[in-house]
Amino acid sequence: MRKKARKLDEILEIPIELSTNNPKITVLGFERLLIENYRGILEYQDYFIRVNTYIGIININGFNLNLEGMTTDDLLVTGRIETIDFEEVTEDEEEEESK
Amino acid sequence: MSSNRITQYMSGYVDIVVEGYYIERFINICNSRQIFLWNIRKDNSITLYASIEAKRFKDLKDICKRTKCKVKIKNKKGFPFTVKKYKKRKVFLILLLIIILAIIALSRFIWNIEVEGNVDISKEEIMQLAEEYGLTIGASKGKIDTKEIINNIRLERDDIAWVGIDIKGTNAIIKIVEADEKPEIINEDEYCNIVADKDAIITKVSAQNGTPLVKEGDVVTKGDIIIAGWLEGKYTGRQYVHSQGEVQARVWYTTTEKIALKETKKIETGNIENKYSVKINNFQINLHKSLPNFQKYDTIEENKKLRLFSNFYLPLELVTYTYKEYEEVVVVHSFEEAKQMGIDRAAETLKENIEGKKVLDKQVQVKAEAEYIEVQVTYEVEENIGMEEKIVF
Repeated sequence: MRKKARKLDEILEIPIELSTNNPKITVLGFERLLIENYRGILEYQDYFIRVNTYIGIININGFNLNLEGMTTDDLLVTGRIETIDFEEVTEDEEEEESK
Repeated sequence: MSSNRITQYMSGYVDIVVEGYYIERFINICNSRQIFLWNIRKDNSITLYASIEAKRFKDLKDICKRTKCKVKIKNKKGFPFTVKKYKKRKVFLILLLIIILAIIALSRFIWNIEVEGNVDISKEEIMQLAEEYGLTIGASKGKIDTKEIINNIRLERDDIAWVGIDIKGTNAIIKIVEADEKPEIINEDEYCNIVADKDAIITKVSAQNGTPLVKEGDVVTKGDIIIAGWLEGKYTGRQYVHSQGEVQARVWYTTTEKIALKETKKIETGNIENKYSVKINNFQINLHKSLPNFQKYDTIEENKKLRLFSNFYLPLELVTYTYKEYEEVVVVHSFEEAKQMGIDRAAETLKENIEGKKVLDKQVQVKAEAEYIEVQVTYEVEENIGMEEKIVF
């Protein structure tokens, strides 16, 4: 069923970020980062931000990180961004989480 | 994000400080309840700075309880708060209003009149004329009918070819073009003589049309006919024509200059004192007390109209008096020096008459007296003295 839906999306050329829950991450220069489709903030320090999304966790390292703007689906981070890394959540973990 | 800065400002927002250990939870809950935060900063692990819409602030109380955070208001910003602030400062607002009203009221009058384009006619004359017809300093702009003033001035004065009145702000500019006094032009088909316009000795007469009545070496006085506007024929009789021709003659110009041998000269010592006063129409307020400390001085008065913008003159004038101290020094000229000065001055006074003409001779006569010398300078010049004159029958 899910596969068929995916096929249909592909035929209709619906953008992936709309058809799935994948986050869209836009980095503008080294000082602005926009995350669309996020679930929530797990941790916030001025040098480290952990953002939860539907497919995993995004870690942002840097200095003087600010959350310039927030809505229910986008998050704009500004500040000196050093690294961005992702933690993929395996399906087992997801199941555990859902339990 | 409450769409943009302007809406944020118009609806008012507050800067808050949140302290607590579950700040991430606080942010997430705010988000899920559609309370949008922006400019979120954190300076240590437990304090968080953020901005929030003023209306939604009271909703934070519940969230604080749940997350065990403390919220404080740091700053209130935006239009509603600004209005509140100025409600308390009534006098300030009233004064501001009065100033604005005063400026509007003042801008309805003329506070400065300028005259442009005048060469021979004095500025005062034109201002006086304009004043007669209603364009005065302090006149209301609405009452001034520029068209009527222009017409009246043109009716009154023949030597003004064109008048324009330009009202810019509180400044009225009268632009005029002076009419040249044109010499009477005699048409080609009218009969005329050529007469002498000065006393002179003729050096050359060449008539292209008409009969020359004088010859070289003749002395003519002003008004004498040189080339008559007719032709005498044996059979045709007297036939009138428009005479044409060139008349060169020697003319003398003489001037006498009196040069005092002893002359007192003013020499500025370089000491300058400035004094100011403010003038409102005819009422003057001196910003200084006494006259300057100099014994002998020249006074230079300079009026400056105050203005707000380039064309918005105020009915205020700043008058600057500059006092320049000078010393009187007696200079004694030698005879030769005085003579040279006399010649120079004579050349200056006769400049108009001899400029551009062929100078044949220059004679200098000096008469010495005890106190002064008299220098008489005579220039002999060759020039065209012919002038057309209509033949009246």
